[in-house]
Amino acid sequence: MITAAAAKGPEIDWAALSPLVAVFGGALIVLMLGLLRSRLARETLVPVLSIASLAIAFGLGVWQWGERTDLLAGALRMDELTLVLTFVFCVAGIATVLLSWRHAAPREAAHGEYYALLLTSIAGMIVLVAAQNLVTLFLGFELLSIPLYVLCATEMRRASSLEAGLKYLIVGSVGSATLLYGLAFIYGATGSTDFAGIARDLSGGGDIVSDPLLLTGIALTIVGLAFKASTAPFHQWTPDVYEGAPTPVTAFMAVATKAAAFGIMLRLFDVALIDAAVDWAPPLAVLAAVTIIVGNVGALGQSSLKRLLAYSSVAQAGYMLAGVVVASRLGLQATVFYLAVYLVMNVAAFAVIVARERETPLGDDIDSLNGIGSTRPLLAWPMTIAMLGLAGLPATAGFIGKFYLIDAAVAGDYAWLGVFIVVGSMISLAYYLKVIAAIWMRPAFEDEDESAVLAPPPGGEQPALAGASEEATTLRAQGEVVFVAVLFGAATFVLGIVPSPLLNVVRDAGAAIGLF
Amino acid sequence: MTLHLSIVLWLPVAFGVLGLLMPAKLAGRVALAGALLVLAYAVLYLVDFDMSSGGLQNVTDETWIAELGIHYKLGLDGLNLVFVLLTAITWFAATLWASFGQLEKPKLFFFHLLLGETAVLGALLAQDLALFVLFFDLMLIPFFFLVGVWGGPARIAATTKMVIYTLVGSLLMLAAAIATGVLAASGAGESLSFAFSDLAQRPLGDGTQEWIFLFFAAAFLVKMPAFPLHGWMPDAYRQMPLPALAVFSAVLSKVAAYGFLRVCAPLFPHAMEKFQTLLLVIALASILYGSAMAFTTTQARLILGYSSLAQLGFITMGIFALNEQGTQGALLQSFNHGLVVAPAFFIVALLAARAGGSEDIRDMGGIALRAPALAALFLIVAFATLAMPGSANFVGEFLILLGVFQTKLVFSILAFAGVVMASFYALRLYIRTMHNRTGPRVESRELSLRDAIVLVPLVLAIIAISVYPQFLLARTERTVAGGGTEPALAETPATLEAP
Amino acid sequence: MNSVKLFAWLTLALPLAGTIAIALIGRKLPGRGAGWLGSGALALSFASAIGALVSLQGLEHDHRQVVAVGWDYAETVGVDAQISLLVDPLSVFMILVVAGVSTLIHLYSVSYIGSDAGYVRFFAYLNFFVFSMLLLVLAGNFLLLIVGWAFVGAASYMLISFWYRRGTATEAGMKAFVINVLGDVGLVLGTYFIFKHAGTLDFLTTFESVQDDFAYNDADLVAGCILLLVGAFAKSAQVPLHTWLPDAMEGPTPVSALIHAATMVTAGVYLIARMHPLFEWAPIAANVGAIVGCVTLLVAGSIAIAVTDLKRVIAYSTMSQIGYMVMAVSAGAYAAGLFHLMTHAFFKALLFMAAGSVIAAMAGQQDLDKMGGFRRAMPFTFGCMVIGGLALAGVPPFSGFFSKDEILLLIGDRGGWYWILYVAGYLGALLTGVYTFRMIFRAFFGEPVAQARELEEGHLHHADVHTNPANDEVEDTEVGFPGPEHHIAEREPTMKIAMGTLALLAIVGGLLQIPKVTHVIDHFLEPSFADSTLYEREPSGGLIAFGLVLGALVGIAGIAVAYLIWVKNPQIAVRARERLAPVHLFLVNKWYFDELIDLLIVRPAQWFGAWAQQTFERVVVNGLLVGGTTGVVRAGSSAVRAAQTGFLRYYAALIVVGIVAMTLYFLLVS
Repeated sequence: MITAAAAKGPEIDWAALSPLVAVFGGALIVLMLGLLRSRLARETLVPVLSIASLAIAFGLGVWQWGERTDLLAGALRMDELTLVLTFVFCVAGIATVLLSWRHAAPREAAHGEYYALLLTSIAGMIVLVAAQNLVTLFLGFELLSIPLYVLCATEMRRASSLEAGLKYLIVGSVGSATLLYGLAFIYGATGSTDFAGIARDLSGGGDIVSDPLLLTGIALTIVGLAFKASTAPFHQWTPDVYEGAPTPVTAFMAVATKAAAFGIMLRLFDVALIDAAVDWAPPLAVLAAVTIIVGNVGALGQSSLKRLLAYSSVAQAGYMLAGVVVASRLGLQATVFYLAVYLVMNVAAFAVIVARERETPLGDDIDSLNGIGSTRPLLAWPMTIAMLGLAGLPATAGFIGKFYLIDAAVAGDYAWLGVFIVVGSMISLAYYLKVIAAIWMRPAFEDEDESAVLAPPPGGEQPALAGASEEATTLRAQGEVVFVAVLFGAATFVLGIVPSPLLNVVRDAGAAIGLF
Repeated sequence: MTLHLSIVLWLPVAFGVLGLLMPAKLAGRVALAGALLVLAYAVLYLVDFDMSSGGLQNVTDETWIAELGIHYKLGLDGLNLVFVLLTAITWFAATLWASFGQLEKPKLFFFHLLLGETAVLGALLAQDLALFVLFFDLMLIPFFFLVGVWGGPARIAATTKMVIYTLVGSLLMLAAAIATGVLAASGAGESLSFAFSDLAQRPLGDGTQEWIFLFFAAAFLVKMPAFPLHGWMPDAYRQMPLPALAVFSAVLSKVAAYGFLRVCAPLFPHAMEKFQTLLLVIALASILYGSAMAFTTTQARLILGYSSLAQLGFITMGIFALNEQGTQGALLQSFNHGLVVAPAFFIVALLAARAGGSEDIRDMGGIALRAPALAALFLIVAFATLAMPGSANFVGEFLILLGVFQTKLVFSILAFAGVVMASFYALRLYIRTMHNRTGPRVESRELSLRDAIVLVPLVLAIIAISVYPQFLLARTERTVAGGGTEPALAETPATLEAP
Repeated sequence: MNSVKLFAWLTLALPLAGTIAIALIGRKLPGRGAGWLGSGALALSFASAIGALVSLQGLEHDHRQVVAVGWDYAETVGVDAQISLLVDPLSVFMILVVAGVSTLIHLYSVSYIGSDAGYVRFFAYLNFFVFSMLLLVLAGNFLLLIVGWAFVGAASYMLISFWYRRGTATEAGMKAFVINVLGDVGLVLGTYFIFKHAGTLDFLTTFESVQDDFAYNDADLVAGCILLLVGAFAKSAQVPLHTWLPDAMEGPTPVSALIHAATMVTAGVYLIARMHPLFEWAPIAANVGAIVGCVTLLVAGSIAIAVTDLKRVIAYSTMSQIGYMVMAVSAGAYAAGLFHLMTHAFFKALLFMAAGSVIAAMAGQQDLDKMGGFRRAMPFTFGCMVIGGLALAGVPPFSGFFSKDEILLLIGDRGGWYWILYVAGYLGALLTGVYTFRMIFRAFFGEPVAQARELEEGHLHHADVHTNPANDEVEDTEVGFPGPEHHIAEREPTMKIAMGTLALLAIVGGLLQIPKVTHVIDHFLEPSFADSTLYEREPSGGLIAFGLVLGALVGIAGIAVAYLIWVKNPQIAVRARERLAPVHLFLVNKWYFDELIDLLIVRPAQWFGAWAQQTFERVVVNGLLVGGTTGVVRAGSSAVRAAQTGFLRYYAALIVVGIVAMTLYFLLVS
């Protein structure tokens, strides 16, 4: 950005930039506050402020709705697509903060840093999905990734957390490297870094579309992005990292990162490379099919809920990829819509997992849900709805989302991909229903209350740091977690009944991309 | 007057939610009140029904999701009137039965039971393909819980198997349905719409019709179930709690049959013609196989389960006779079978209660001794089950096989083997349980007043419809004759867009 | 509505009302109230049948076919099924016979079943049966006919397995029902074939237009008629669908008398007579009927000589007599056939009642080998038995003589190959004489058995423990069984009345129709057969005279043979049995029909069922379809999890592979 400023000395439209600024600003403030000694400031003020900054960003986004402004010499573009995804990031962020509130991770990695990293990552995502040229693309990409590497490892006293961070760092860097290569080749082939320019070059000549340089570039770019979107066969890191990372972070990665990855895919493929669709659509379709199958069969027989959801997220990525493949406005809208409902459903599920992690000694094992249908209805219902939604059963947002995706697939002459989606859903039932069965049909986890007392909070092995207040927190019913679960569970249901508002928003986002 | 279908559609689930909020003691009564209201409404529709018109009545048409062209469109005509009535009756009986029994978590139970009724009514009343599919899939969720939470020992495995197995079909149907809408719209160059009335005027190409039809057929045949796609049925039937089983076997299987008439016949006429023989073969196989299984198994529930398999075979045959007699017969038979199988399951429960809890007919026998009334009711139900002439079931079979006889003579003749076998397994069930020497742990006693309150009305209904089947036939005739299995059927709603 | 219709409806409604009334309040009635209620309903029904007769005769000759429509039954999409009665001489004739004989048998049962545990149930069933039978004969269209047809089947089932704790009884009931359903199926399919062309289910409409709808001997018509015959054969126990009738003797004796002798089993005869316009237009089918009837009368007659169960002897004789009737109506001798139907109803019911009385005296024992010498012990029963026997054997002037001989006369008169039937008929008559009096002599003559002697001293024999003769199973006293406390004709006035009346009718019944003298039946039935070409043929005087003499001689000869063998010197019987051992075995095993059917139909069905149950369901339905798919998925999931080692180096390897694959794809494809 600096370079861009130096080169052109552009006038900056602060109004349009304001959501991004809000998040960055929030990150700085939170980081500073984290240095305060008072516990109140660290444990309460910091999260509150992070939420505030995200809320403000959301609000500003709403205010900026409808303006389609290119920023910083066309480096970024604040259009409805960017804003919709910004909303997704903010909501995901707020939820994450609420889930992290009394979690071990921020305590161990000092609250200031933890939340600052979270906000920075979100800022990176906004930059990524707003990117209009290859440079900002890569910049945003890194900006979102690096904080995440750290966040995964924030439960420093839990080996698996560190391992997760390390794995993610290594695999992620490979991904970034591949992406960088790809972008470089594309630039080399088309001679321009900004999407509009690339699109122009491609629309111009016939032979360039089959230029090996370009093709290699596209291939590597797909791989690079596939890493972030965790689509097969570049998904292996997902289950391990999801399982190892602190659950709130996992939730954040599952929804926000995916949204960011798909956001940029849509921009890159549906704008810059739209005329090369003949090249990239078929392999992407195959990738989608493979991902759907691998993700779904992988999730079978997983006993760790986080691993299960990790695979499920792989599968869901496959579904959404179908929306990208068809390279149509319908596809774009379907993808964005699905991203939104996917956020809602997943957050609800993860909130329940967090709650049970703190209530039982079983961690994220599926048995931790046994019998909560009668003991903890407020957790049982959201989880049930979330699972039904992810399975795509009617009266949930998931059903509408799948409906939309299949609609797009069929309309784009990829009917077989639509069939793959439903086949995937069939397989997925096996593990989603397993979760519901545990909730309602298995006997309640014996002596629930004692277990809650005895349960060492995740990472609370060191009373030295955890302190006496630790038990107290675990004993307290974590209102905010239950709140998140219920809120998003309800949202899953409501969006299944009245999806139209969201659909309108998504339609605007689709309209923002002028190139169909 | 127009009675709003939305009312009857949402009544059950509304009462279900109400029951959740009430104290557990009242849950049963609240549910009962809901089911009773629905029944009352169904009767009102019956009274209000205009027999002179074959088209849709009491139409509600709102755009639900404009972007996806999904309409919230409900309507009543000769096709679904019968099924709505059946649903109301059987669900009321089941709720009554359940409210007498002792359940754990009664609030949840009745919630799911009533949610199920709403889902079924939705699938029946929907006049929009997407809406139909939505409700069709939704039907499964409450039953997943009903089996899984209140079912027998092996319930979880059974319910998972049932849901996945049947959803395999249903989800394929989802894809097919969307394809129907999209391709029809693009073919006609019009905006996306799933309303039957629109789809009927946008015929699909023959090739497209074929694969789409097969997806739909898969969904319906699994749901029925039809041979050889009935793998989920035995386990599910064994584990399902009785009230749920009664409505499940009585109604849900019929919704599949209804699907053929409502969706496939008008939208994919070419495919119906092309695959007629295939479907007839499947139907025939179901009849023979189901009957054979029914007279070899010793589990009372499964005898009824497999007999349903056979009966659904007959209904399918009627539908794929592709003529008016067949369709009329199929409609009447659907109603009859539902009306007969529900009390049959209740009776099985009573028998089990008298045979020391066992549902194996080898443990039964001689129950008739001190229970003449029970014996009489059972005998009537048994005769109706085997479609003895004089029962409405016979009229149904008569029309069905007459319809098939006129198009595909051989199938009709072969199907009669099923009629003979039916007489064998139905009587076998009756004799082995009620007659012969007393079983080891059997102690015969008369049915209680509560049992009578549930059973007697049902049996009276069976007798009534047997004496005067014309009552239903007259109401379905116009819709059926208005095209039965020709596309004309679907045009009729189109002409009646705004009632 | 006019009186004919009114009476017809009444005749039909009263037994139904009786059923419902008995079912609801029967238990509350004191003593034998239920029985009297049932008999009363029947008596009234018979009265209104007479009313129908009178008012029908009131109409002038060619308006004696009245259709009474109740309501639409299934009036839709081209099917025109109404609840409609066809009241014409034929149906009135039938309802008179049915209601009349039923009333007497009810009367008999009031005592006979008097002490049975299922007294009330019995009369509810019996009334229901009569209702069904009347519905059958009054039905005005095919669908309603089928309904009545099935109802009598059901009623017969219920009454056969009336003593439902007897495994043999329930088995027999099941057998009877299933074979009757087979008959129903034949009827339905036949209806389809006819409906296909006629386009209506109504009898009269079909009959009027049959010659326009079908070509002469039209394939579809022949098929339809033969299928109707299947129905008739199943109901009337004609070969090969007869095997249920002997087993049906498991039922109480009055049931055998009413259903399995007098009424239900003659339904087939009525059906053929009713359908005569179709059969005359499809003679091939008619001939099939005639031949089967002829075969049956010989087969049954031959078996009746060998079996030793008292009731089964009468049952086989019933079969054989119905063979005559079926042969008659198929060959166009309608009046004769129906005349024989009537007389047979009288004397066969009488024989069964007498047999019942004997069986009661034997404390439920039915085996002829164990009987003997009841002549002095039960003079009244003996008298009735002899009268019935003479009528059956066709000895003048008893009723059977005239009816049977008229049949044979008219068949002989048809000439051509019908002569075979004619001869066979007289052969059968000879057999009839033999087996009838074999039965009588063995039961009533010879050395009195213990039971008989006890009875002579004035008190009944009581077995200390009752067992089912069929399988020596100890009887269940709760539900009842033949003769726990027996009521025999000598003691019970109601039984005496019933038997006396029938005896009288058996003697004089024949006078209604004496060749060249009286033609009551002929003239009465004429309107129903107005359209028939074969009706009321007058055989030549010579043939008549010859026939009458021959008939009388044959009957008497049969009796003489029986007397010679079983009374004069019983050794003959013994020696004959030894000499003709294989033949005897063949007859005792009833020509092995049961075994044959078992081999051809029952076994395969059971095998298929077992195969489906044990093999197919497990291997294909659950194995391949369910297990297969889930197996594939499972394998996939384990494969994926195997790849998920958790070690970065493996991931790295896979990543490299992925990248290379992706890049290569792009480079190669373009």
